[in-house]
Amino acid sequence: MNRERKFDPITLDILWRRLISIVDEADAAVYRTSFSSLIRDAHDYTNAFFDRHGRELCEGSMVTPGQLGALSLGVKSICTRYPEEAFRPGDILVSNDPWLLAGHLNDVGVISPIFFKGRLAGFTACVFHHTDIGGRHGADNREVYEEGVFIPLMKLCDAGVMNESLLQMLRANVRKPDDVIGDLRSQIAANHVCAQKVVEMMEETGLESLDELADEIIGRTERSMRQAVEAIPDGDYRYEGVIEGQGKRADIKIRLAVHVSGSDVTVDFAGTDPQVGWGVNTVYNFTYSYVNFAFKSALNPEIPNNYGSTLAVKVKAPEGSVVNCTYPAAVAHRTHVGHALTEMVYLALAEALPERVLAECGRAAGNTVVYGTRHNGERFLAMDLRAMGMGASYRSDGVHCFHFPSNASNTPCEILEGDTPFIVEKRAILDDTGGAGRHRGGLGQEIVWRIPDDEYAPRPPVTVVNVMGRFRYAAKGLFGGREGAKSIYQINGVDSDWGGQNLCKPGDVIRFCTPGGGGYGDPLERDEAAVRIDVLNGYVSAARAQSEYGVVIDPKTGEIDGEATRRLRERLKRPAAK
Amino acid sequence: MSYRLGCDIGGTFTDFVAVDDATGKMHVFKCLTTPRDPSEAVEHGVRELAKRVPGMLEGLDEVIHGTTLVINAIIERKGSRTALVTTRGFGDTLELGREKRYDTYDIFSEYAPPLVPRPLRLEADERIAANGRVLRALDPAHAAALVRRVKALDAESLAVCFINSFENPAHELLFKEIAAREAPALSVSISYDVLPQIREFERTSTTVANAYVKPLTGRYLAKLEERLKDLRFRGKLYIMLSSGGITSVKTAQESPVRVIESGPTAAVISAEYYGRMLGIEDLFAYDMGGTTAKSCLIQKGRAGKVTTFEVGRVQRFKKGSGIPIQVPVVDLMEIGAGGGSIARLNKLGLFQVGPDSAGAEPGPACYGRGGREPTVTDADLVLGYLDPHYFLGGELKLDKAAAEAAILERVARPMNMGLIETAWGIHDVINETMAAAAKTHIAEKGGNPRTVTIAAFGGAGPVHACGLAHKLKAPRILVPPVAGVGSALGFFTAPIAYEVVRSRKMRHASADFAELEKMFREMEAIGRGIVEQEGRGEVVCERSIDMRLVGQGCECTVPVPAGDFSTFGREKVRALFDEVYGRLFGRTYPEAPLEYVTFSTVVRLPTRALRLPRLSGTAGADASVAVKGTRRAYSPRQRGYATYTVYDRYRLPPGAKLAGPAIIEERESTTVVDEDATALVEEHGFLFIEMKLVQ
Repeated sequence: MNRERKFDPITLDILWRRLISIVDEADAAVYRTSFSSLIRDAHDYTNAFFDRHGRELCEGSMVTPGQLGALSLGVKSICTRYPEEAFRPGDILVSNDPWLLAGHLNDVGVISPIFFKGRLAGFTACVFHHTDIGGRHGADNREVYEEGVFIPLMKLCDAGVMNESLLQMLRANVRKPDDVIGDLRSQIAANHVCAQKVVEMMEETGLESLDELADEIIGRTERSMRQAVEAIPDGDYRYEGVIEGQGKRADIKIRLAVHVSGSDVTVDFAGTDPQVGWGVNTVYNFTYSYVNFAFKSALNPEIPNNYGSTLAVKVKAPEGSVVNCTYPAAVAHRTHVGHALTEMVYLALAEALPERVLAECGRAAGNTVVYGTRHNGERFLAMDLRAMGMGASYRSDGVHCFHFPSNASNTPCEILEGDTPFIVEKRAILDDTGGAGRHRGGLGQEIVWRIPDDEYAPRPPVTVVNVMGRFRYAAKGLFGGREGAKSIYQINGVDSDWGGQNLCKPGDVIRFCTPGGGGYGDPLERDEAAVRIDVLNGYVSAARAQSEYGVVIDPKTGEIDGEATRRLRERLKRPAAK
Repeated sequence: MSYRLGCDIGGTFTDFVAVDDATGKMHVFKCLTTPRDPSEAVEHGVRELAKRVPGMLEGLDEVIHGTTLVINAIIERKGSRTALVTTRGFGDTLELGREKRYDTYDIFSEYAPPLVPRPLRLEADERIAANGRVLRALDPAHAAALVRRVKALDAESLAVCFINSFENPAHELLFKEIAAREAPALSVSISYDVLPQIREFERTSTTVANAYVKPLTGRYLAKLEERLKDLRFRGKLYIMLSSGGITSVKTAQESPVRVIESGPTAAVISAEYYGRMLGIEDLFAYDMGGTTAKSCLIQKGRAGKVTTFEVGRVQRFKKGSGIPIQVPVVDLMEIGAGGGSIARLNKLGLFQVGPDSAGAEPGPACYGRGGREPTVTDADLVLGYLDPHYFLGGELKLDKAAAEAAILERVARPMNMGLIETAWGIHDVINETMAAAAKTHIAEKGGNPRTVTIAAFGGAGPVHACGLAHKLKAPRILVPPVAGVGSALGFFTAPIAYEVVRSRKMRHASADFAELEKMFREMEAIGRGIVEQEGRGEVVCERSIDMRLVGQGCECTVPVPAGDFSTFGREKVRALFDEVYGRLFGRTYPEAPLEYVTFSTVVRLPTRALRLPRLSGTAGADASVAVKGTRRAYSPRQRGYATYTVYDRYRLPPGAKLAGPAIIEERESTTVVDEDATALVEEHGFLFIEMKLVQ
């Protein structure tokens, strides 16, 4: 069949941008209607729009890649499983099945079919990370049963009638029912806004169906992605990495091979460790998400993301492995493994694409849930996500304190202090934590919390569950760059176990130091002026400027001592000097 | 005789419009901005106008003033050396921001450096808790020592932002008092005065921006008042707010961050006004001055308003890549693209136009004031769009040879390109930059560039409007009368209004409605007291309450109908909320507890209508009566010079039609009509340019 081009490039551009702005409006509706700070402030949610076959067409500008890719596979699979007739106007589906959607019970997906003139036009869907979904918080659970309420795919709303029994059931199983129900309603509101605007767009533009628009968007995106893949020389690129175990648990080995052939890529995790008896297992959807994100970000970041970006990349992961775990594995903290996969793909490709990838990032900087009872008997519960230093690249220094690859935000200290009795004593960039290099790794940060012991002291115990990594394995540098600083987690000045439940009391001080990113290239080749600016800003101490970069700064004037620097750099370059 | 004067200071030009209220007759003037003392240009302009309009100074009731000086100081990083004092442990809040990568997929994104670098950020030992209790008191001696350190750092301005100060401002107020004593010359901005709202980063960022521009704004406005006083002006001086209203000098000096977009806002307000007047609902207001281009989409007759915006986005106009400032502002998009935008080869050897601007000093090379770098205006001159002898009506002679030399030396030769080719490159690249930004802005608002009318303002706006319309595929351009100073005209259409806001969190179920009625009346009395001093006419009051479901972090503004609030039933108020919420979000939850957060009363005087006079020429006469001659100017279609007909805008009769290629000259601007376009002269002198769309 001769495929007729329905859309000239300008019409396509306008409709495409408009769809993205519609999803962004849905995204803004979440900010306005949500209840928990993890959603409203830390932006741990994702909105996306799908065609009637479940192919992702566009997403909000501020997605979390892990949720996005997994949600996309989920909606696609729902469309494969059910015929179109199964959906009616006014239906809203809900599930937090980790294997169907986003990999842990806290991520609840709400999916709404959109009808135009009585016909199914597409789907709008969102995933929210609910701070609490019942169960026992921690990375040390053995099975998913311990991790909270499991909602199989069901109707939250059936042809306009809310499933009140499900809501009652949920209410009875979570620590802060008003937040959970309020956030579910916010998900419904976001889907409503998207659906309404899509229908308006179709009315205004006279589109009877989105099928051709979807083909055009997906087709163009796939072609641009395949072109980008073709730039990678054909071959096999391998990488083997280690993710540290919690406490005395064994480290987890990840093995991957990237096979590039023409415009096709296969990433195969054969040889990766089997799933583990603690809560860091990754479902296939989540593995798929962060592998895809690696290719998208390294090869083709400027084209808006959709189903078309994923078609050139196949992901193979052995069933029962830690990157494709089977029910009923514990999965609550799948980010511990899943977030590492993006940079492992980068590292596999580093020799082939040295200008397109990052050195290792601080990553695994951690997330912390705290809950308990206030002085007046009110329950509190909040989650904080922490940022770390990003790895440096061929082009530039690593940036300080971001959430990578997840892309969440911080929760303002003032919001955290409103949600809990905690006092934030410090949140600062942590000096000398970025790996040295021609380009320096980004810096991590130091965060100090105190549980007050005055008349507003909470009732003991206060449960603190902190999951983070890089205590033993720092972010490595690339091409001669050095590694970043490791993590620290202390309670009252003493290194503390992570991943389980720390029971704290009023007066306790909790300190987190998040890791820095790896450097890129030989630090002795770093521009002297850049080293000086780092010293003036305090990012790098004068001592480190000498020992790692070979740059001597006069402490009185703050200027570079050119002669001393030249001599020192020469000496440091000679292997004998080491 | 009664006159009003609008005056807008841009980065390059200062524009004036005086209106005779009795006849609607307008008198216009434009001169170069005087960056070292911008009030100098204002005085010059007022004197010039007074010479031309006898009796104007004596009959002048009000001067309404807007300026882009504030925003340009931030974009160009030319504000004061500013220090920041925070709560101990939070010195890096300004730099950490919200830790959100604004482009999820771009791992090489760049971020705007903070306005206050680390060595100028100090920390104070003090702490207020979330509920307002004092955890650690601020020691006055410690505060005084910090102020002395700020002085030693040679800072001219100081921002103070303490954690939880919106809940209990005692420490910030104390610090302000101590700073005033220890360092009377130091300009101080505390976050409680600037933005008493939760979220430390946004509050710090806004306070720092305020501090960064406060000395400059204060000095300037004081000087301006003085000069006007010396001219025996006895009326009222108003400053345009970014939100579209106008305010007193004192308020503007304290909160310069609220006048940050004051100049650009005026163009939007006037575009709204013209839209109503001409019955055009969807307009794209586009104002290109010497330093920046500002634009705003007007939908269904209204420009959007937002409570937070960003200045100086560093990358591809992307949200999140600039400095966030939380003040009410008309939803504008501003980029560094103006007549003064400099063309150069960047570090990577790539050709780049803007965002740096040559401003008024030294200005474009062709101004002959010492500028050596080629700018967009230089290119427009070389391309023949501008007449070297009729720029500002001939008051500023342009030096074409200097423009050619600058383009050749700085960019053409290093790129191995010809003069004309390079000049067109500069013109076209700046159009492309504006078009890309415009597309994003229009799409974000759910608009369609192919159905909007572009309203072109500013000295450079009508020169580049056709090029922009081509790139956007927009069908029509509107060039208002006196477009070159169009922004200044917009001031007259802004209402005098005052908003009184009180934050009092309370449950809907238990709120005392009689108390609330009392509070609303008090707020109205305050508002009336202010606006009635400022003008005459029947006062209109509008009440609203920001409400949310208990547990949410954001409110919905619910307008409250006029009438005694104490007589409203609880169900009625609840229904008002549920109606708004349901309309926005599809579904509402009448059983979920509701709370009130903020109460607001807007007290407004009626807008004094602006009467535009009709053109005096004979209706239906031929455009040829206005032909001044012809000029060789660049035709992109022919990739070379072509003959353009040059018209005198002041002689164009109402109803006349003319076909491109044409150049329509007026003193403050030049309109280029493409060879594919036609222009129609409306009875008040608006030009409608119909584009012939080439797919």
